[in-house]
Amino acid sequence: MAEKNFMVRIQNLEKFFGEDRERVHVLKGVSLDIPEGSLYTFLGPSGCGKTTTLRCVAGLERPDIGSISIGGKTVFSAAERVYVPTNRRPIGMVFQSYAIWPHMTVFENVAYPLTIQHVNKADIKKRVGEVLKIVGLQGLEDRPAPKLSGGQQQRVAFARALVNEPKVMLLDEPLSNLDAKLREQMRFEIKALQRRVNITTIYVTHDQGEALAISDQIAVMHAGKLIEVGNPHQLYSRPKRRFTATFLGLTNLIPGKVVELGGDSKPGRLETSKGVFAFIPAAGLHAGGAAVLSIRPEHIEVMKQKPQVSENVLEGTVKEAIFMGDAYHCQIAVGDTLLRVHTHPFLTMNPGDKVYLHLDPQSCNGLPAEDTEGMDESALGA
Amino acid sequence: MGRFINAQTVILLGCSLFVLYLAGIPLVMLLYGSVRSAPIGEPGAAYTIQNYIKAYFDREFYLLFWNSIKYALGTCLVSFAIGTFLAWVNERTNTPFKKLFLVMALIPFIIPGILSTIAWILLLSPKIGLINLVVKNALGLESAPFNIYSMGGMIWAEAIHLYPLVFLLMSASFRNMDTSLEEAALTAGSSTFTTLRRVTLPLMRPAMFGVLLVMFVRGIEAFEVPALVGVPAKISVFTTKIFLAIHQFPSDFGLAGAYAVTLLIISGAGVLIYQRVTKRTERFATVTGKGYRPRVIDLGPWKWVTCFIAFLIFLLAVIMPVFILLWSSFIPFYGIPSRELLAKVTLANYHYVLTYPLALTAFKNSFLLSVGSATLVMLLTSVIAWITVKSKIPGGVFLDNLAFIPIAMPGIVLGVSLIWVYLTLPIPIYGTIWVLLLAYITKFMPYGIRSSSATMIQINKELEEASMTSGGTWFQTFRKIILPLLMPGFVAGWIYISIISLRELSTSILLYSYNSTVLSIMAFDLWEGGQYTYVCALGVLMVLLLVAMAVVARKLGARIGIAE
Ligand SMILES: Nc1ncnc2c1ncn2[C@@H]1O[C@H](COP(=O)(O)OP(=O)(O)O)[C@@H](O)[C@H]1O
Ligand SMILES: [Mg+2]
Repeated sequence: MAEKNFMVRIQNLEKFFGEDRERVHVLKGVSLDIPEGSLYTFLGPSGCGKTTTLRCVAGLERPDIGSISIGGKTVFSAAERVYVPTNRRPIGMVFQSYAIWPHMTVFENVAYPLTIQHVNKADIKKRVGEVLKIVGLQGLEDRPAPKLSGGQQQRVAFARALVNEPKVMLLDEPLSNLDAKLREQMRFEIKALQRRVNITTIYVTHDQGEALAISDQIAVMHAGKLIEVGNPHQLYSRPKRRFTATFLGLTNLIPGKVVELGGDSKPGRLETSKGVFAFIPAAGLHAGGAAVLSIRPEHIEVMKQKPQVSENVLEGTVKEAIFMGDAYHCQIAVGDTLLRVHTHPFLTMNPGDKVYLHLDPQSCNGLPAEDTEGMDESALGA
Repeated sequence: MGRFINAQTVILLGCSLFVLYLAGIPLVMLLYGSVRSAPIGEPGAAYTIQNYIKAYFDREFYLLFWNSIKYALGTCLVSFAIGTFLAWVNERTNTPFKKLFLVMALIPFIIPGILSTIAWILLLSPKIGLINLVVKNALGLESAPFNIYSMGGMIWAEAIHLYPLVFLLMSASFRNMDTSLEEAALTAGSSTFTTLRRVTLPLMRPAMFGVLLVMFVRGIEAFEVPALVGVPAKISVFTTKIFLAIHQFPSDFGLAGAYAVTLLIISGAGVLIYQRVTKRTERFATVTGKGYRPRVIDLGPWKWVTCFIAFLIFLLAVIMPVFILLWSSFIPFYGIPSRELLAKVTLANYHYVLTYPLALTAFKNSFLLSVGSATLVMLLTSVIAWITVKSKIPGGVFLDNLAFIPIAMPGIVLGVSLIWVYLTLPIPIYGTIWVLLLAYITKFMPYGIRSSSATMIQINKELEEASMTSGGTWFQTFRKIILPLLMPGFVAGWIYISIISLRELSTSILLYSYNSTVLSIMAFDLWEGGQYTYVCALGVLMVLLLVAMAVVARKLGARIGIAE
């Protein structure tokens, strides 16, 4: 992709908080390119540095190292000593608390970005009317801000972020303060809204379901580092890193050793304590090296009879089976390993049943056994 | 970009330097002045420790010291007992008429110190005191049972004037107390009174100690009662001694300086200890959090006893002083209430006060100073609070402490140091209303910074950042977001400061001149001239002005910002 198509470019961002002994390294060299017009999500467990990265883009934090450009214009560069203050960056931001000013009406809140630039009254009125319509709040102009519901406050925050047509919209966990039902509904609305106004949007969330549902691209972050970037599909079904596989959705991990990498349409082969598996290797594996096999619960086929094929087949005992309506969620013991498997609800499962498992080779991802340094197992197992 | 940087840096730097100037210069000049042999500008001035020798080697000094301590301690204990009792009754018990108590407890607060002192003289003077005369007649006594012109009388008058502050501070700490600790004791089987003694009181101890220190400092820096009662009774304390050293002819600035430094050290020590104590209790308070509904203790039949005591206090502290002031303001010559005198009720005193040659000047000056200093202090401290609470600018804590220094400066000491400052520096404002304005701003800055910081802390950072991401400059953000959000605290602080500046006496009395007379000075002069009825009329007018200003401020504040 040509460079000018990236709306936001973040290069090698490093950020420390605190002084001396309490100094913590929060961003450890984050580089990202965000395509124009896309809805781009920072996803990661809380405390991994998503908000900090977003605030660096907004200019609310000053990074220690690195550079940031918006729309081709450098807004921050540690090396060149460039720092464009927040109010001069072409951005709109929706805060986690929404930050609706309680001393103003809906109209005054939304009009604020225009008022302070001394846009004339008629234009303000027109423009505010337009954005309130976009977010579905027309008619509420004169309502005092404290009299709004959570969902309405959020729409006001959106309208305010949109009103002076920023190049980039920054959203920090915008749904985390809503109740579960509304959250579900707002996902669709945000996605539709972003399509309609077509503004490059950076969306921060720790909720993987939200990220999958809403994003064009997702940047997975962990402990101040960028782990992997991809679209929701790629990241879910073909993750390249162990952390991605475990953080997005559920997965089963079986450690082993690469026997051969395979090639073209031929799968590789991985030797584990449960036998040898055909699998699709991720980049960075090499024959003879350690790897971990990742397969999602819904990609394991359960059979009561021994199947014809023998490749990627395991024998196990049902330990626990929970009926979920649309599926059984089972724990199946294979030797000393417990695998999580989701099966079709027609296939009745009872604890103690002997079953055969088929691990579809196309869904078996071989990933590097260890991600980058500084990651601990407890974070991975989430 | 340039303009953005400038507006912000100019305001921030300007305010910081102004605070440094206000708080720092008087301190420096006071120390300097106390080691000079003659006031600045007079030929032959040299460095000397003569002033201190003269002060400390005088036997009278130790009497003075002892009197000051006795007076401060007495005031502190009596006001503490009254204020704490009322706070406890109001916050923690089911005593009837609690709502009424809240109003009554705060009335003495709005009566200027000079007036409440005068009221007590009119009530307890051995010759003309109303209470004395009534009791004497009723019991057929030979001589007056009470004498205001004594240490006890002084302490009483001062304590009645100061207890509302105790009431406010103690109410706050009763309210913040985590009552589940008490409930735990009750469920463990201890009785209400054992719980009070074993749990409640120990929990309150740090807060109580803090309040006692505040009251001690207040007592040691008090001026009105010592000046109006102590001087005729020949009971001197530091504040009156300093006042007299300057008011004698020729003034002894050096000696006043030496006394002032001594007084400053005592009150400074009190404030320092206070800060240490409250730092700890505040931390304690944040841990337990707020929003508790304190458990109200059911006193059973005892609630009528507490109710009776509270009413007795109000009769003494509110009803009688207010009555005597009102009564005296409507009669042609001072006398105890009687049918003959009632027939002579007149508005002549008010007429006299309003047509008094200096009255118009005094009203105008007091009003301007009160509004001006309250507004400037609140604006200044809002900026300072932003720096110390919100910004990451280094030195914020230092600035906060700096703005707090004047709390340790008794009014009379501030007056002495400002005399030195403006006799020395080539700023030609000595003897004008401007020096009073600077004095008031300095003196009331600590109250402003307290109120502004407390409100600033409650403003979510994102509200401010949302303005920045909307394209607002620092100045626009401050004016359109921060100030309106600060408004409730701003108005509260404004009202408080305008009240205390309208009744300010101890600093003004050293700094005023004919053209910069203020109301409290006018009252002082009328009193010195023996014109009691006029003073009372003036006092009633002052209180009316105060109430009007408070009401207008609330109305305006509600319009500009969010109503509370
Ligand atoms: N102002 C600050 N001072 C010190 N540490 C901070 C500050 N802001 C964030 N941190 C720390 O930086 C890390 C990353 O925070 P953040 O970017 O908010 O994470 P998240 O991914 O949850 O949004 C956390 O460990 C947090 O405690
Ligand atoms: Mg966050």
